[in-house]
Amino acid sequence: MAAPVLEVDALSKHFGGVAAVAGVSLRLEPGRIYGLIGPNGSGKTTLFNCITGLERRDAGRVLFNGRRIDGLKPFEVARLGIGRTFQIIRVFPELSALENLLVVTDGPLAAARARALELLRFVKLEGLKDEYAGNLSYGQQKLVEFVRVLMRDPTLVLLDEPAAGVNRTLLNDLLDAVRRLRDEGKTILLVEHDMKVVMGLCETVFVLDHGEKIAEGPPGLIQADERVIEAYFGR
Amino acid sequence: MTLAPRAFLTGLAVLAAALALYPIVGTGYGVRAMLQLFMWIALAGSWNLISGLTGYVSFGHVAFFGAGAYAGAILIAKAGWPWLPAALAGGAAACVLALVIGYPCLRLKGPYFAIAMLGLNEVLRALTSYFEGLTGGGSGLSLPTLHATVPIYYAMALAAAGVTLLTYLIITSRFGLRLMTIREDEVAAEAMGIDTARHKLYAFLLSAAGPGVVGALAARDQGYIEPISVFPLATTITMIVMALFGGKGTVWGPVLGAIVLFVSQEIVWARFPYVHQLLFGAIIAAVVLLMPRGVLGLLQTKYRLPRTL
Repeated sequence: MAAPVLEVDALSKHFGGVAAVAGVSLRLEPGRIYGLIGPNGSGKTTLFNCITGLERRDAGRVLFNGRRIDGLKPFEVARLGIGRTFQIIRVFPELSALENLLVVTDGPLAAARARALELLRFVKLEGLKDEYAGNLSYGQQKLVEFVRVLMRDPTLVLLDEPAAGVNRTLLNDLLDAVRRLRDEGKTILLVEHDMKVVMGLCETVFVLDHGEKIAEGPPGLIQADERVIEAYFGR
Repeated sequence: MTLAPRAFLTGLAVLAAALALYPIVGTGYGVRAMLQLFMWIALAGSWNLISGLTGYVSFGHVAFFGAGAYAGAILIAKAGWPWLPAALAGGAAACVLALVIGYPCLRLKGPYFAIAMLGLNEVLRALTSYFEGLTGGGSGLSLPTLHATVPIYYAMALAAAGVTLLTYLIITSRFGLRLMTIREDEVAAEAMGIDTARHKLYAFLLSAAGPGVVGALAARDQGYIEPISVFPLATTITMIVMALFGGKGTVWGPVLGAIVLFVSQEIVWARFPYVHQLLFGAIIAAVVLLMPRGVLGLLQTKYRLPRTL
């Protein structure tokens, strides 16, 4: 077994009396695509937030490449090499598409610019590079957010519902892009409600329900799992 | 596109030369009015650096003006400093104040930050009234007589130009874009690896320097300061309205706002002292309702003009 990129160990997070995440453990190996599914309110986004430092966990540990990252600030987590997108789009609306990408880099501007243009070309948005991101369509904003994450060249990419609201053609491009990232050796963890996407893309799927991990395995087995069916459809 | 910037720069150079020569031909009133206009440009531009770019609306920015005024006046009156180093010390004092209060206050979001800044200003006013030995308390602090209106005119002009140039440099840089991401979506900025706390503090320090310097210059120019004259809420509101009217987050917006509002105040409203406040309030309401981005912000989005405007 390869050394894990990310290890989540008995992570818990409560909001008042609600246990949003209750003792979840995950182990992600490099160069693989993982899915995180579960009914609404099962704790998927909270788990993302705890990993990226936006929420402070109550208990448990998060290790990235063997290093404790729980307790770090979000920008520190991002700089270590974890990139994420959001369920609700969070581009910088009054920055141009190009500026949205440039702003997250630290190195020489010329190199950043070249990389940003390359990424915009990759998602076929180079013609709109000077448009305010807020003026782009929903799907286009989603793509800007996706390539913005890649500007820092993260080793782990967390995608929160990448397929939601994206049309089929665009979606296929996006899924190809995710596979290419995997082929470059990056690790991807995605939250997704579209089961076709999850089943077609992910090698391992984790299922959350009421903040607990109730199943883990290849998509085919997960689909047949009694507890998963029960969580989604009830008894 | 090389023609337009060149014409623009030529225009700026001609304007600068005209302003440099103005004290030779201008009346005493004219020079003093221009001096005050420069002061307003520096104040509105400085407010724009923190509030226009990061979206953290400071409702107590006059605190830095007052801190600079008192620091400068005390150095001049009690330590015998010349006014120019005293003015720079006023800027430094305002930056130190910004550092001390910025660290806790910039963690507050939205209206809480605005209210904290408002409170800071009231605290400073109370403190200056209390420490009579140093500040003269409520009876104020008189500076030795000095006729230096023309040199102070130049110093104010430099302060206004300095703040505007600084704004230009920031807005056209990646640092400036990072400040804007805080305004646009602070959570996303943080998740993308931007150290938002540090960037806010930098912007806050930069926005305090200008008011500190012009506060000390204004103190020297007026020759007498007291707590109510250097910490008035009205000054904060005026700089906010100027920046909003011209276009917050732009380079030339605060300059335009300061010119339009100051000139109209001097020329038109001085004849109608009673409706002056009313008109000011009406302008605030109209700008917020009809042109939330201000004149230049509106032009920028409508005609896709560059950020350097």
